[in-house]
Amino acid sequence: MLSVEALKIRYGEVEAVRRVDLAVDSGEIIALVGANGAGKSSTLGAIAGLVPAVSGKVVFDGVDITGLAPEAIARKGVSLVPEGRRIFAGLTVADNLRLGGAMHLPATEARAREEEMLELFPILRRYHRVKGGNLSGGEQQMLAIARALMGKPRMVLLDEPSLGLAPQLIDTVFDLIAELRRNGLTILLVEQNVALALEIADRAIVLANGEVVLSGTAKELATSDLVRQAYLGA
Amino acid sequence: MIAQQIINAVSLGGVYALLALGLAIVFSIVGLINFAHGELMTLSGYALLAALVFGLPFPAAVLVAVSCGALAAVAMERVAFRPMRGASVTSLLLTSFAVSSLLKVVFQNGISARPQAVAMPSWMTGAFSFGDFTIGVGPSISIVVSALALIALELFLRRTVTGTAMRAAAEDFNVVRLMGIPASRIIATAFLLSGLLAGLAAMLWVAQRASVDPLMGFTPVLKAFIAAVVGGLGSLPGAVAGGFLLGIIEVLLQATLPAAVAPYRDAIVLSGVIAVLLVRPQGLIPAVRVQRS
Amino acid sequence: MPKLYRLHRAALYAAVFGTTVAVVSTASAEEIIIGAATAQTGGLAPYDQPALAGLRMALDELNAKGGLAGKYTVKLIIKDTRSDTAQTATVAQELIDAGAKIMITPCDADPSISAGQLTQPLGIPTLTLCGSAPVLTAAVGDVMFGTYPADNVQATAVADFAVAEGKKKVFLLTSPDSTYTANLPEYFGKVFEKKGGAVVGRGTFTMGQPDFSAEITNIKSLADQPDLIMTAAYEPDFPAFIQQLRGAGVTIPVYGADAIGTPTIKGLGKLVDGVVYTAAGYAEPGSKLEAFNAAFAKYAGHAPESTYEVNGYEIGLILDQAVKTAGSDDPKAIRDAIAGLKDFDGITGKITYAGTDRMPLRPVALMRYEGGEGKHIQTMIPDAADVPAP
Ligand SMILES: Nc1ncnc2c1ncn2[C@@H]1O[C@H](COP(=O)(O)OP(=O)(O)OP(=O)(O)O)[C@@H](O)[C@H]1O
Ligand SMILES: [Mg+2]
Repeated sequence: MLSVEALKIRYGEVEAVRRVDLAVDSGEIIALVGANGAGKSSTLGAIAGLVPAVSGKVVFDGVDITGLAPEAIARKGVSLVPEGRRIFAGLTVADNLRLGGAMHLPATEARAREEEMLELFPILRRYHRVKGGNLSGGEQQMLAIARALMGKPRMVLLDEPSLGLAPQLIDTVFDLIAELRRNGLTILLVEQNVALALEIADRAIVLANGEVVLSGTAKELATSDLVRQAYLGA
Repeated sequence: MIAQQIINAVSLGGVYALLALGLAIVFSIVGLINFAHGELMTLSGYALLAALVFGLPFPAAVLVAVSCGALAAVAMERVAFRPMRGASVTSLLLTSFAVSSLLKVVFQNGISARPQAVAMPSWMTGAFSFGDFTIGVGPSISIVVSALALIALELFLRRTVTGTAMRAAAEDFNVVRLMGIPASRIIATAFLLSGLLAGLAAMLWVAQRASVDPLMGFTPVLKAFIAAVVGGLGSLPGAVAGGFLLGIIEVLLQATLPAAVAPYRDAIVLSGVIAVLLVRPQGLIPAVRVQRS
Repeated sequence: MPKLYRLHRAALYAAVFGTTVAVVSTASAEEIIIGAATAQTGGLAPYDQPALAGLRMALDELNAKGGLAGKYTVKLIIKDTRSDTAQTATVAQELIDAGAKIMITPCDADPSISAGQLTQPLGIPTLTLCGSAPVLTAAVGDVMFGTYPADNVQATAVADFAVAEGKKKVFLLTSPDSTYTANLPEYFGKVFEKKGGAVVGRGTFTMGQPDFSAEITNIKSLADQPDLIMTAAYEPDFPAFIQQLRGAGVTIPVYGADAIGTPTIKGLGKLVDGVVYTAAGYAEPGSKLEAFNAAFAKYAGHAPESTYEVNGYEIGLILDQAVKTAGSDDPKAIRDAIAGLKDFDGITGKITYAGTDRMPLRPVALMRYEGGEGKHIQTMIPDAADVPAP
């Protein structure tokens, strides 16, 4: 469904991503893991069109989307939940959700979709008229995910959904991700919490210094020495 | 007397608020202080004059003039600022200065350096009286129009998707784009709104001054800038608050300062502004912002 | 069309780059350079431009007859002051360096003084186009000449008329931003009080000020209501003031002086009905001024906007006469000749410098707007004893 070939990203002199190749099949969860600064967020940003690639190619559903504007990529059905949630703090939960669907669905469908999201995230119903900025970190994460799902994307890119959340909330978020996949959503998941990521993912890719150092099924990686030593603390 | 001066202050503050909002809307989205905002007003003023000369009835002429301001703002973005997208704040600022000076020269040489009289309809002179209290038609129009414009803008920003997207874009432009909302639409709408506000403010300005001249935009854009900074750059409620505060201070000083210190009025106003900024460096109502395009 | 287009472009370049537009440049053995440091852009341009057009017409005509005194071909060099006092000094210096033997300065005291401070030590006669502040000549020295009826003379004429009309109480609106706006109403007040009237209030404004509401409220709440408001505000302040005054329901008459005798103010139509102002003359049928107006319309392609054109034209005639009297192009001799001018037959009437402080004695026409037209009331030379000291 999505393939990234020989992606290279540079910020000024800093080469953030040297070469990343990856492929995500429909209905899969792929985990992208690696240390801080490995280039995970940059890779997601390049796929979503926020970060320009120096070279390489991003193909979604057989269409080359490299270099397209973020809004164009979003409308092709790829939705990024950015690192740090970045919900609109000054807007109500309702408005945050509405914007998520505004460009993808006609008004009536958008309302129905909002209802579905409120079913899926009951906490958001409770705070429907509350400003995003007043929600707790976990609630904001729910909102960010719900907002990204509003437009019925075919693929979501999740950038560290567990960041800053209490363990119990992390479980809730991961249960939710599992449920989304069961409903047929394709997911590219960036996670620091490698153990959790490997538990939920079908396959995983390990990035270090902007390069893919290891890839394989989640099970293979969970038992690989490199991953166990570097990321699982074993 | 005091009630009169309050009305004067509200009336002037309303116009300043519209002007400051026009600057703030664009600033909140693209981080540009558009110093050519004043020339949008001038353009609307000339459009009003032209429409009246062509014999359009007054309301139609006002409609034409305000639309001209709005369209000119969009065109300005297309021609001057879009090619600069992503450029530094300084280059944007310099571009807006360049556009402003260029338009002034075009007005001066293409039309006339001399102010052109705009004869306002006679119903705009006179006053309503309630008992022994009178309120002029002029200030009344200013107050009503500014109030309606502020309410309409508020409704637009709260109730429509584009309006909501604009508020969101002021906080985090890139994430708005991640929602599939085109950047160019947001930016064009910001300029359109600022042009509409400039056009409306120009109508009130011209109605109070009865003439348009090439340099007419200078004072209002300066006031708008001061009001927007005092209110908190990029914050829309701040711009409104700053506009009213500036109007109130100016009328208050004009009404009470003895003639001997009157020449220092502007200096006193600016000192007041600096004092506000010392206490509240981010302005009265600071903008919430994550990042901009 | 293409020609027109080029003309506009030239004007645009001139405005953008401040380039020199040399009008007359026929080289000849006896050439005299006149420097014109005048505003082509900015707030003074609406005054300087018509006055300069009149001067150019005179110089063109004189050059066709051999130049000043029939022998000194005039080369007029015009530089834009952008209505800025400091810029005026800069371009005046450039004109001096270019060899100007006579200097023409803008329609306002402050830039004229700044140019005069450069010409005074060199003895170059300097004439303001229509600057009318009587303090102007003393502030510079013996090279500086006014040409237009002085502010105190104009104010006396208006005050005489107001008193004759039976006006008793006046409110004076001044602006400290220019000598003209600051002093003219005060001269009026002095004459008015001397002749039995009273000044019941004073207000000030800043030039370019958007809002007059506070001042107007002050006027409305005066216990002793004036029956007249006197101001020297001009455009764009005058239209703003009167629009807001009438918009607040105040119907007290407003009088001003020469600076509101412009098409802009006339264009205000009913709003300015009853406003009294002054001019350097009035074109009565059969008068020289009427003939001048017709000739100017032919020369410029449009009728004169005001009496600034004829005033500019008369500057040309004065210079011609002065060079004749001097018998040379020596700046000092020309200066002395201007200062000695007596009962010189101008277009608007007799002009005298002899015995004055280099502000001319000349007639003042009183005018009133009615139905979008400037109507002549009377032309007079106020009694010198009534004119307040500068
Ligand atoms: N906008 C930017 N300008 C300059 N350098 C950047 C920028 N964004 C990221 N970088 C650099 O690029 C490299 C990769 O950053 P990136 O955010 O992609 O890493 P990451 O794998 O997501 O890290 P983390 O786990 O900390 O989120 C880092 O060295 C980072 O400092
Ligand atoms: Mg990251």
